[in-house]
Amino acid sequence: MKPTENKRRRDFTRGALALLVGGAALSAARSRSPKLVWQIDPEQCSRCGRCATHCVLAPSAVKCFHSYSICGYCDLCGGYLRPDAKGRNTGAENQLCPTAAIKRTFIENPYYQYTIEEDLCVGCGICVEGCSVFGNGSMYLQVKHDLCVNCNECAIARACPSDAFKRIPASEAYLLKSDQEKRIG
Amino acid sequence: MTAVGKNWIWFVAIMALVLALGAYLGNSRRADLGKSFDYSLDEYRVVDPALMGYAEEEPLVPSITNITSLAIAEDGTIHVGGENAVQTLPDLHTIALEATPTSLALDADRVLFVGLRDHVLEIAKDGTRKAWDSPGEKTYLSSIAADDWYVYVADAGNRRIWRHSKLKDGPPLEIGEKDWANDVRGFYIPSPMFDLAISRTDGSFWAVNPGYHALENYRPDGMPLSTWEASGMTIDGFSGCCNPSHFALLPDGAFVTAEKGLPRVKVHNVDGSLRCVVAAPNQFDDTVKGLDVAVGADGTIFVLDPNRNQVRVFKEIQ
Repeated sequence: MKPTENKRRRDFTRGALALLVGGAALSAARSRSPKLVWQIDPEQCSRCGRCATHCVLAPSAVKCFHSYSICGYCDLCGGYLRPDAKGRNTGAENQLCPTAAIKRTFIENPYYQYTIEEDLCVGCGICVEGCSVFGNGSMYLQVKHDLCVNCNECAIARACPSDAFKRIPASEAYLLKSDQEKRIG
Repeated sequence: MTAVGKNWIWFVAIMALVLALGAYLGNSRRADLGKSFDYSLDEYRVVDPALMGYAEEEPLVPSITNITSLAIAEDGTIHVGGENAVQTLPDLHTIALEATPTSLALDADRVLFVGLRDHVLEIAKDGTRKAWDSPGEKTYLSSIAADDWYVYVADAGNRRIWRHSKLKDGPPLEIGEKDWANDVRGFYIPSPMFDLAISRTDGSFWAVNPGYHALENYRPDGMPLSTWEASGMTIDGFSGCCNPSHFALLPDGAFVTAEKGLPRVKVHNVDGSLRCVVAAPNQFDDTVKGLDVAVGADGTIFVLDPNRNQVRVFKEIQ
């Protein structure tokens, strides 16, 4: 074998080895770094409505969440009833949600439970606004990860005026209010 | 032109079309939300000038921050609770505390009762302190009132009023448990806003039942005497899930009420009808909550504004 052929073979082996080791190291590093997902920080959300219009999915992957431990179960619920509601009942003309995605159920006098119908919710946040202004802020927006396609560059995050969209580890994919706040405090 | 040249022109044109289509689709969004998605309280923020019965004067500015509660001594000294302290105005004398008060009251002997979330701290005129036992785990003391015989403590966490006797030791009387036989419907407290005040005339006390938008009058033993309620976004009612958040009594027995959500301060007559507006929503920041109110002996209304860290002063327009 000629000495030049030997050198070429050695160079090739070294290069291939370096590529293999580098690739393995990169793959190990990637597998160690946690998978990240998009989520809304409810404390920063300004209920602008862009979650409903800017998501690549239609309807949006952003939905209203309801923290029952924070809710006051009010009859006159600011998240359910329009400010100018003529009555405290389930009449369409009294409901704040334009898609009727909130279900009101009588519990006992004078308490009512409010449940979000996820299929109808478009993530507009109008109920979140009403609940925050007049109630305890038990309604808030979150990205639903069984719906979200987790784009590298989230279109809503790009449009969010209050920087409420964050990348958080997939292992703790929701920023739930009930974990952050107690009912009184 | 050669065939190769023509092919290149076609290739560039198709690529440009694809890129333009991609850019259009990438930037196009669904239409903006329609009118039914608008949420506006603007029409309720402005009040008819004819209803304004008070004019604002220069505010009092405490040097402590995070102000939460307000009380006036019989001599007119204003006490403000804030960040780990109580301060008197206008002399800015500060009494340091272990925590930020959630409520405040003074009796005729100038004994200061400070609600520290789950217990009362009693501070005598000579400065001696006595911490009371906490009523329970969920306790949140949102208001205190004292007369010559009793100290009433409103506990929003337990939805009760605890009546402590000044004349004899023993456990406090529990007021507010549902008792249909005696027409006691219980207190409905969706958020920790639960105020009370002692009547200036007959020793009974008034308490807010905020979930019902009601003011309720009770005998000292907890038996109900009368009630009135007014729900609604319009100026003569109480808005939101739980209002009024705070109230005080004028010398003639009328109510000075403060609301959260749609922040406004009003005077209601003893029968609940609206007498006048003290401060309209557009005089406060939108996000303000916790507008504690107090009334001086001459009828001057003091409003604690936590957002501005001021005690705002309102005098009746003559």
